[in-house]
Amino acid sequence: MNHAIEVNNLTKYYGDLLAVDHIGFEVGQGEVFGFLGPNGAGKTTTQRILTTLLEPTEGRILINGHDLAREAYPVKRQMGLVPEESNVYTELTAWDNLMFTARLYRVPRSERATGARDLLETFGLWEKRDVKAAEFSKGMRRRLSIAMAIIHRPTLLFLDEPTPGLDAQSARAIRDLVRQMNAEGTTIFLSTHQIEEANQLCDRVAIINHGRIAAIDTPERLKAAFQRVQSVEVALEPDGAALGESLAALPAVTTTVKMGDKWRLYTEDPAALLPQVMSYAQAHDRRVVSLSTLGPSLEDVFLDITGQQVGTVRHETGEDKPRRRMMGGGR
Amino acid sequence: MKDGWLRRLRDELDQAWTVAVKDVRVYYLTPPMIMFGLLLPFFLFFSFSIKREIGAEVGMARLLALTTFFTASSAGPVIIPMERRTGTYDRLLAAPMSLATLLLGKTLVGAFFAIVVSAVPLLVGLIWLHVTLADALLLLAGLVLGSLTFSAFGLVFASIPAQSVGSIMMPSTLVRWPLLFISGIFVPLAEMASWARTLAYLSPLTYTQDLMNRAVLGTGYLNRWLDLALLPLLLVLFLVVAARLHHRSRVLGY
Repeated sequence: MNHAIEVNNLTKYYGDLLAVDHIGFEVGQGEVFGFLGPNGAGKTTTQRILTTLLEPTEGRILINGHDLAREAYPVKRQMGLVPEESNVYTELTAWDNLMFTARLYRVPRSERATGARDLLETFGLWEKRDVKAAEFSKGMRRRLSIAMAIIHRPTLLFLDEPTPGLDAQSARAIRDLVRQMNAEGTTIFLSTHQIEEANQLCDRVAIINHGRIAAIDTPERLKAAFQRVQSVEVALEPDGAALGESLAALPAVTTTVKMGDKWRLYTEDPAALLPQVMSYAQAHDRRVVSLSTLGPSLEDVFLDITGQQVGTVRHETGEDKPRRRMMGGGR
Repeated sequence: MKDGWLRRLRDELDQAWTVAVKDVRVYYLTPPMIMFGLLLPFFLFFSFSIKREIGAEVGMARLLALTTFFTASSAGPVIIPMERRTGTYDRLLAAPMSLATLLLGKTLVGAFFAIVVSAVPLLVGLIWLHVTLADALLLLAGLVLGSLTFSAFGLVFASIPAQSVGSIMMPSTLVRWPLLFISGIFVPLAEMASWARTLAYLSPLTYTQDLMNRAVLGTGYLNRWLDLALLPLLLVLFLVVAARLHHRSRVLGY
């Protein structure tokens, strides 16, 4: 059986700048595939190539068995694209936006109106069907943009950062829709910064960094492969928030990150760290409000692979202790 | 197989039409379109014609050529950067249609606009100034062919990968304005020096002006069949150049 997407040796240069560096991967039929990467990693370039908006410098792409370079027409009919920016026509009503797209994608005339109505109802826009998109909120435009991308019932849907900036209700509605479309057989290619979103939605994820695929696997297998980024989360009273430096000095701690009123203590050995935390609390007359051990999250894996810092507040251990987290290891 | 191609052709033509109708609804009343496509040709005409002794027929022939040229060639340079800025151009590029179809749709938009705007001086001339046409059919052919050709001419500039109208209008104006003065609009071809006439032959506007003169005044400098043959050829040439430049943008990643 054909893969939904097969990418071989894909390369893209912008002048002398190598944006995508001979990457290859496959996306199975019916899979939700997450494509993660920091800004400038080559994520958007790859997606633009896959959606025919950009020509690769080198490489071969098969979409549902069709060579994208030679058979773009049948491929385009099978794919839907939701770009990061909600690209709706603000001077047209929601209804007219959908009718335009349906006609552009050659949806049979008899199915256009019913399809548009179903989608507008699904996205809670039916009552606003005759309102120009210029008057829509950001979330409403996003929903309309997605509706326009799926009016022709694509078998492969590309989503670029579908939920950032949306209220929780709109974001959840979009995630639910992705799950529903996937359950109905649509392959989803999700390009995102939202690590947790990828964790919740994706069967597999690829992490791209500096134009190369740094890791590709299921979220759980990726986490299991990064056991070195385990952590202990502890909340102490009183003055727990001010204890970062003291906690960072514990022998088994590699990195500390403040998480609200708690501290996350990264360690390679949680079993050794737990008694150290308890001893510290006892010695400094602090009460342990909560204490839990955590495995690596997908975000930890992502940050580790891409060589970025964990969290925004960081207290490194002293120079005399060679326990700095390994950064930018990649694979 | 043949049915497949016929169906594809029908689909692509319908898609070009769909793009054109959408653009008419979305962009015709935007300020840049009104400024560059509607007001500018009239301003230009009055700037160069007021206080000069020209008859109604000559004025109408000039104004028709001017509006056709400026209005049609403004559509692409106004609409496409606006679409790039809002991201809707990607929607069109990702749709299941060829680049040629997209460019054909965009050509139709400019052509419609030019034909509608040209109808104003035409109706004013016919109804108020009682101008009689020497060849109505030729006028129609000149308007349609000229509008399509100049609209495609505008697409060549719109291929510059910019997101602001100004970035495209600047080079476009740099080329279009000189054409205005060497195309027999303000100085008839017959009165030009030979070197200037040679330059005039390089301008697509020359052939439309000549057709307008022949259709309204009954006299022209060039053979009408030459005018009628060259305009479609130039239309194809401009579409090919625009398609190549668009493709280049897609390769370079602009």
